[in-house]
Amino acid sequence: MNQPKENAGLSMKDYNHNNLCTWCDGCGNYGILTAIKRALIELELAPHQVLICFDVGCHGNMSDTLVGYRFHGLHGRVISLAAGAALANPDVPVIAFGGDGACFSEGVGHLVHAVRSNYNMTFILHNNANYGLTTGQASALTPHGEKMNTAPHGTVEELLNSMDFVFSLNPSFVARGTSGNIKQLTDIIKAGINHQGFSYIDVLQACPTYNKFATHEYLLGKCYEVETSDFETARKAAVDTSEKIATGVLYQDKTRSTFLDQLEARKGIDTRLVDEVRKVDVSALLAKFS
Amino acid sequence: MSRISIKIVGAQGQGVNSVGEMCAKGLKRAGYCVFGEREYMSVIMNGHSSYQLEISNEKVRSAQEKSDVLVTFNHHGIKNNLRDLIEGGVLLHQTPQWKFGEEDQKFIDANSIKVIYLPTEEILKKLNAKPVLGNVLITSVVWSLIGRSSDELKEMVRERFGHKKDLLELNFKCIDEGTQLIEIEKLVLPEPDDCWKSQLLITGSQAMGLGAIHAGCRALFGYPMTPASPLLTFLADIQGESKMLVKQAEDEITAVQMMVGAMHAGTRAMTATSGGGYDLMTETISLCGISETPAVIVLAQRPGPGTGLPTWTAQGDLLMAVSAGHGEFPRVVMSVSDAEDSFSLMMDAFNYAEEFQIPVTVLTEKQIAESLFTIDALQVRGDRLQVRRGRLVDGDGLKLLRASDRYDPDAPDGVSARWLPGSDAPTYCAQSYEHNADGSFDESGENATAQMEKRMKKMKGLKRVLPEPELWKVNSEKLIVNSDFSGEIDVLVVSWGSNKNVILDSINDESVAYLHYTYLWPLKTEKLVELAAKAKKTVLVEGNAQGQLGMLIKQECGLEFDERVLKFDGRVSVPLQLIS
Ligand SMILES: Cc1ncc(C[n+]2csc(CCOP(=O)(O)OP(=O)(O)O)c2C)c(N)n1
Repeated sequence: MNQPKENAGLSMKDYNHNNLCTWCDGCGNYGILTAIKRALIELELAPHQVLICFDVGCHGNMSDTLVGYRFHGLHGRVISLAAGAALANPDVPVIAFGGDGACFSEGVGHLVHAVRSNYNMTFILHNNANYGLTTGQASALTPHGEKMNTAPHGTVEELLNSMDFVFSLNPSFVARGTSGNIKQLTDIIKAGINHQGFSYIDVLQACPTYNKFATHEYLLGKCYEVETSDFETARKAAVDTSEKIATGVLYQDKTRSTFLDQLEARKGIDTRLVDEVRKVDVSALLAKFS
Repeated sequence: MSRISIKIVGAQGQGVNSVGEMCAKGLKRAGYCVFGEREYMSVIMNGHSSYQLEISNEKVRSAQEKSDVLVTFNHHGIKNNLRDLIEGGVLLHQTPQWKFGEEDQKFIDANSIKVIYLPTEEILKKLNAKPVLGNVLITSVVWSLIGRSSDELKEMVRERFGHKKDLLELNFKCIDEGTQLIEIEKLVLPEPDDCWKSQLLITGSQAMGLGAIHAGCRALFGYPMTPASPLLTFLADIQGESKMLVKQAEDEITAVQMMVGAMHAGTRAMTATSGGGYDLMTETISLCGISETPAVIVLAQRPGPGTGLPTWTAQGDLLMAVSAGHGEFPRVVMSVSDAEDSFSLMMDAFNYAEEFQIPVTVLTEKQIAESLFTIDALQVRGDRLQVRRGRLVDGDGLKLLRASDRYDPDAPDGVSARWLPGSDAPTYCAQSYEHNADGSFDESGENATAQMEKRMKKMKGLKRVLPEPELWKVNSEKLIVNSDFSGEIDVLVVSWGSNKNVILDSINDESVAYLHYTYLWPLKTEKLVELAAKAKKTVLVEGNAQGQLGMLIKQECGLEFDERVLKFDGRVSVPLQLIS
């Protein structure tokens, strides 16, 4: 990754946008916004050197609150959109933000296959355990029995354990942070961006308006930091949140090849797909049909 | 036109296609224009399938209803396809001791059909050859029947198996057996013409794939669905040479989203699907409309609704392509008609997508995607195709940019500057929400109006630059595209897509003119109105139940056709009589 020296003087100002912020008071998104800006600055990446993709949801409204190349797409589809961009130009780090509604219901298939495919990109899940923007419906990550919008008598569907789910897909990078621990989250995001492959970052996010069960205080009290460990240990620590919630970079496999690196047809090619757009002579290929 | 038609039928997996392809290649090399058409069922094994070859020394683009020769691998072919033969036709079958039913025998006698039994199994046993070699044996029988020398066939086999000496020898033995097998009067082919020898024999899907590579397309994201699958398979097979990225995504929504992400990043990428997959892509097409992201989607049509008739042909998705996706936004819909424009239109598709920053849908049909065409190599390789990327800014131009240039509502023709992530320039947000000039949220009514007007202005620019429909007419005894729209017209036939092939093959005098629509949206109707006004009769021909192009034409200019020929049974061949 290019890290030109002149970027060393970057500050938060460089990533600020003048637009108004529309999140509720106490929303965890503020903490995540601060962490992403800090991470990019500490990585000495200028706004024009990154592509940040947003799903549709409260978290997606972050697209208005920072600068940098951004794509605010459709609900549930951010992972595929970002993956396409990451394949086309591996020199521009691609970061995708999605909600738990977007990525564990509407577009859960994309998450499954992105982990399997190990695209080189960073995915940050705003896990507020509900649909914020559509005013507090249950997501697959809402605890069973919670009374939610459209489930006034409590949800009947079983909770999906996001960590168990992701670990079952044999991921190459799994981390968990919270919106209240900005310093730690900054480090996690930096590690995610530096990882070659698909980085899954599950951010437990306070939602004071709709999530009354996992509040900011609750999360701060329950989270503890762990060292990165082997797959089985990491999985165990990640899945069991009954007593405490393990956070940090839980698991990373640095030996795994990315999707692009494994493509036989692209081996030994230095150019990126974005450099290759020109009229191509196909005479040799056409000759096969003579 | 003097032509001969050979139809090969059998169960899927029996070798119908390989015999068809071998004959086609040999005949093209011998100096014939060949058209090959496949029909098969949506199963892997045992379904009844056919491969029909049309052979002429003149341009031939479609298959006739009846054949001169019927080669069948099994008794189903005898029963099902006997009546596909013309009077005096030849039936080659391989079913030992076959007894014709009374009706069939009557048909054979009445039509002087020559029946020949090929003891394929016996011969293979004698030669100690595996069943697959039956294909070469049968090909050689057909070969001798049409009076070609066995050396030509051996040459082709040598090309294919030359490196395997044993196999080659066995193949040659089969050819020798096959050519001596039958002692009947040979069929007379028209005189060959050397002009066809240098041409290419290629399917619509293959031509489209090569056209995409030629146009600088560097990635294909797809999900298998007939009849789009052959394109996916072909581009996957040649990725070692093209160095293209070919990804089979988990579904069509993923495929189209990955394509959009790749296009946004700045490469040329495409996706291909059929109707059902396109349905799933429509929300993303709408996203491209508002975010002004170039996109190229190939929609290979088959009969719907629902799963429909997966392996048959149709033109039922025009209105969908024109209106798919919520909200209003500019787009281009174009349709290929044969292998030649399957190649050349891919450049157009990418150019319009990038110049106007819009989604472009390229329609094809099973009939084009899977048929074999003889096309002019020089024509497709010509220099007239150039990559045009519109207002894509790079280099020094980046220094002058402001973030608010991205969606500048005052941009000429509604097309504002576009620059790529990673460029050293002010950044913007590509937005699916309504947005102002730099891509920030803006819910004001004034802004919504300004941005909608900006985007919709592109339709005007498009109407200006899109080519007119093509007028085909016999001129000095040659059927050509006329740039001059003056002159008398008795019957004006209007259509699009693969119908062009049947229609052109059936026009033989100056009374009938054919107006072919390649660019279907936005729709240009000025020339049509002019021509229709002086034609004695106007005829609309379409492969759908509603006359969808006719509906668009009526909507755009009020014109109604005197006659409509609509076919929607999954089969091709518009009955020619209906046109005249
Ligand atoms: C196809 C589609 N369906 C539904 C919606 C409406 N919608 C917008 S945001 C959202 C849910 C947001 O929840 P989540 O993804 O968890 O994000 P959060 O708002 O909590 O950050 C829904 C259902 C939409 N925009 N598009």
